[in-house]
Amino acid sequence: MFSLTPEEWMAIELSLRVAIVATLFALPLGLVVAYLLARKDFWGKALLDGLVHLPLVLPPVVTGYFLLLTFGRRGPVGHFLEQTFGIVFAFRWTGAALACGVMGFPLMVRPIRLAMESIDRKIEDAASTLGADPFWRFVTVTLPLSLPGIIAGTLLCFAKALGEFGATITFVSNIPGETQTISAAIYTLTQVPSGDAAALRLVIIATIISLIALMLSEFLARRATARFHGL
Amino acid sequence: MLTVDIDKTLGTFRLTAQFEAADRVTALFGQSGAGKTSLINMVGGLVAPDRGRIVLDGEVLFDAARRINVPVHRRRIGYVFQEGRLFPHLDVRRNLDYGRWMRGLAHDAQAHTHILAMLDIGDLMDRRPAQLSGGERQRVAIGRALLMQPRMLLLDEPLASLDAARKAEILPYLERLRDDAGMPMLYVSHDRAEVARIAQTILHIADGRIMPRPTADALFAVDA
Amino acid sequence: MSALYRAASIGLCTALLLAFGVPAQAQNQTITVFAAASMKDALDAADKAYMQDHKDKVVVSYTASSALAKQIEQGAPADLFISADVQWMDYVAKAKLIDPGRRVNLLGNTLVMIAPDDSKLSNIKIDSSLDLAKLTSGGRIAVADTKAVPAGLYTKAAFEKLGLWSKAEPQLAQAENVRAALALVARAEAPIGVVYSTDAKAEPKVKIVGTFPANSHPAIIYPVAVTAKAKPATGAYYDFLRSDKAKAIFTQYGFAVLNSGS
Repeated sequence: MFSLTPEEWMAIELSLRVAIVATLFALPLGLVVAYLLARKDFWGKALLDGLVHLPLVLPPVVTGYFLLLTFGRRGPVGHFLEQTFGIVFAFRWTGAALACGVMGFPLMVRPIRLAMESIDRKIEDAASTLGADPFWRFVTVTLPLSLPGIIAGTLLCFAKALGEFGATITFVSNIPGETQTISAAIYTLTQVPSGDAAALRLVIIATIISLIALMLSEFLARRATARFHGL
Repeated sequence: MLTVDIDKTLGTFRLTAQFEAADRVTALFGQSGAGKTSLINMVGGLVAPDRGRIVLDGEVLFDAARRINVPVHRRRIGYVFQEGRLFPHLDVRRNLDYGRWMRGLAHDAQAHTHILAMLDIGDLMDRRPAQLSGGERQRVAIGRALLMQPRMLLLDEPLASLDAARKAEILPYLERLRDDAGMPMLYVSHDRAEVARIAQTILHIADGRIMPRPTADALFAVDA
Repeated sequence: MSALYRAASIGLCTALLLAFGVPAQAQNQTITVFAAASMKDALDAADKAYMQDHKDKVVVSYTASSALAKQIEQGAPADLFISADVQWMDYVAKAKLIDPGRRVNLLGNTLVMIAPDDSKLSNIKIDSSLDLAKLTSGGRIAVADTKAVPAGLYTKAAFEKLGLWSKAEPQLAQAENVRAALALVARAEAPIGVVYSTDAKAEPKVKIVGTFPANSHPAIIYPVAVTAKAKPATGAYYDFLRSDKAKAIFTQYGFAVLNSGS
């Protein structure tokens, strides 16, 4: 019951790879977008806010289909990327990472934005008076003080990316070793006679990984806050 | 020498100020809401006036007509805030070093030791701001502003959030600062006694305007 | 570094190593096969035999032939396609996505009606006099999607030919592919279902209760083709599928083996 088949290992490794890559790429963009939404006022701000949160409320299949239309080989962006850089997303693990990154992005931005909004601007003003230009102020004051939110956002995005299914299977389908993540593997196993044992194994593993990620996120965030002793 | 000539409208409140500050300590004295903090923020660059000029030692910091507005981080004006505003995620040592590091200045060991001694903060280096008392926080805040080697110091009610005992404790440090720092200070306060003790020049602000300079005696006749 | 940060770092490194450290087994070629869902058990067995004698790896993506055809059309990296009907193979052939010189009708199948293995039903004669309502007693008939999935299309054609479609249609529970329909019956969520005989054979929790007359639907033909952009190693695999060894395996699982070309 408790030993994993090669196919199951493949699904786990792939899921981890996809989730890690998705989170790593979402992070810098997430920081920038969170900062813009938290600090700046500009034309189209509400639109940006809406777009960022769209994957949260749209049916995942819709998001996946939209990705297919845009980043598929015949889509405007996908075609360009393939011709110019040789980068292909559709039906590749890179596409799975893209789908998971898109779906996890709103979960990353929200906590970071909230953390940045709760930073006392006056502290940032103090940094300015001490000679910090906007960039260094961001790096030395805003980022460290938003750390609890950044940690929470990163791990939430990771957990979501690990469990993503609808958008992924629509965009990159279900190819073992390439795009068959844990969720897709479980889905396939539910259609195989006597696949229940294997499905259950994967369900347990996926649950454990996600739980660890969530608990770690909570703990690290709280620890980071405690270091400020009552910020 | 600081020259200020500005107008600013904040909602329904209109602030107009015209003055020169050449003395060691120039106090901006008045009730809360009179416009003192707004004024000092404009000198520091945190707020831009609607109209006018601010010149410090010959350098134009702000000129509405010529669209000059030197950003805060380039003004080299130290600022001591009422609540200190120390960086909570850095220990005292790093707080003190912040300005020097940001400005890329060489470490002046002598000045460093001197300022630490003057403010009596040498023992606090490894503590975090949350672990400091109110008085200690303010002394560190002063040290932090000084250690960035500013050409002028702004102090916005630096003792207001302290109780009487703390105030009495810190006032001597401020006097020491005045006599020792070698740079002009703009000192905001609503406390007559404080101002009388520290300042050489007192500007009385009320309702967004600078009243004709009172003498020291007239000062005590004013209801603050 | 505190103990926890150390632990977290180790955990992260392990995860990274697991994710990236295992080299993509790309020294040998990986042949990617897109196959109709009903091929699952038989093809897995055949692939196992193939991989014993060859160093290439075969991975298969199983789902409805209609979905697979659309994925291939959108650029999915399939080296070989096995469809459960000719229509979907023609679809990708028309889009010039397969090698016309390497396409052949490989297998045949039969359409059967199934019930959960503990059902009281048995020996049902499937003709135009069949009383479906009585059969299902209010439950649903599990079938593959009748709009596009081959198994569903054959089912619909059969019901129509027998004049039962208008009664059947409102009672259908349409699943994404024939194996999903099979699972519905295996779990006793549906009292009867329509799948291929090979599916029924593969699932111990269902039993065949009737066979559709062969003339009630178009012949069930499984074409196989090498795709236009297939890796070189696919040729050997294609040959293997048509070999006697593979045919024996397919027969064992209940498929009929055809010999004709397309």
